[in-house]
Amino acid sequence: MKQLNKLLILSFSYFTLWSCNVQEAELPVLGPVKVGENGENIPHQIPDFSFVNQYGDTISQVDFENSIYVADFFFTSCPTICPVMKSQMIRVYEHFQDQPEVKILSHSIDPYHDSVSVLRDYAEALGVNDRKWQFVTGDQDAIYEIGEKSYMVTAAEDTVAAEETGGFIHSGAFILVDKKKQVRGLYDGTVEKDVNQLIRDIELLLKEDEE
Amino acid sequence: MRNSLKVLIVSVLLSGCTSAEELEYEQYLVNGEILYKQRCANCHGEKGEGLRNLYPALAGNAVLGNTSQVICLIKNGIRADQAQSKQAMPPNPELFDLDIAQLVTFLKDKYAGKPQKVTANEVKEILLDCAP
Repeated sequence: MKQLNKLLILSFSYFTLWSCNVQEAELPVLGPVKVGENGENIPHQIPDFSFVNQYGDTISQVDFENSIYVADFFFTSCPTICPVMKSQMIRVYEHFQDQPEVKILSHSIDPYHDSVSVLRDYAEALGVNDRKWQFVTGDQDAIYEIGEKSYMVTAAEDTVAAEETGGFIHSGAFILVDKKKQVRGLYDGTVEKDVNQLIRDIELLLKEDEE
Repeated sequence: MRNSLKVLIVSVLLSGCTSAEELEYEQYLVNGEILYKQRCANCHGEKGEGLRNLYPALAGNAVLGNTSQVICLIKNGIRADQAQSKQAMPPNPELFDLDIAQLVTFLKDKYAGKPQKVTANEVKEILLDCAP
């Protein structure tokens, strides 16, 4: 009987450890899977893009090659969730300060107002003076499209309650993209606990690359 | 609900031994705090800590000593090119004079350490001089 108990406890703890391991070992690849011409599965990927950053430089997917990055959507005059999102993104930025392969890409969804100089002032006021965290503006339709179709978040002009939202509605999501341009996680950028998870998941992705 | 309870408790505690004036001051603080959380805390922070140079910290901010400036700022906001932080602050045209009076009373008490009740009449007078 004692033996059986021991065995039960042992197998139970093994199972618990094992399930933890499985959970920790790998992040899912998110997004719709397409079927290619030869019937092969093509996982969802962030397509090529071209936007202008806070320094006036045109940047594209090439600048994120061999990088893990966190994307989000915001606008500088946003009175609602952006301030909280930015205070949380600063935590990510500072946590990975010494890891050049981790980057941040913040898209303005109000590109007419958020010119290069407005974005540069905004970034500087946040204490960002490098290319680790880039704030981009560009063609509004292109930004909305990549937001909705590729990063799987909402980004649109608000025609209903513009006064309260500042004229735009957008999700507060932080999107984690790996070195293969695949989405590996979506997090609520307004919730500290979610952002803690994001930080842990980035660390996990960094380890995944080492293996 | 919790705030009404706070008001009630404060009222009960104070009614026995404080003047109506002091009681009113306490009410201003409670209502001012509610308004702060609704309208200001999002950018200026739950504890008035601000966010880097983007949104100025209110805790210990010298501007709070200038009642007129604070009242005008709250009501009319400020344009990005006029702000020290280069960030615009949105106006709050829907706030009543009494709302602003309570908010400023709270700000002075909490973040400048200066108990000073600002009245709705004062707000009204000051706003005459800083129409948007």
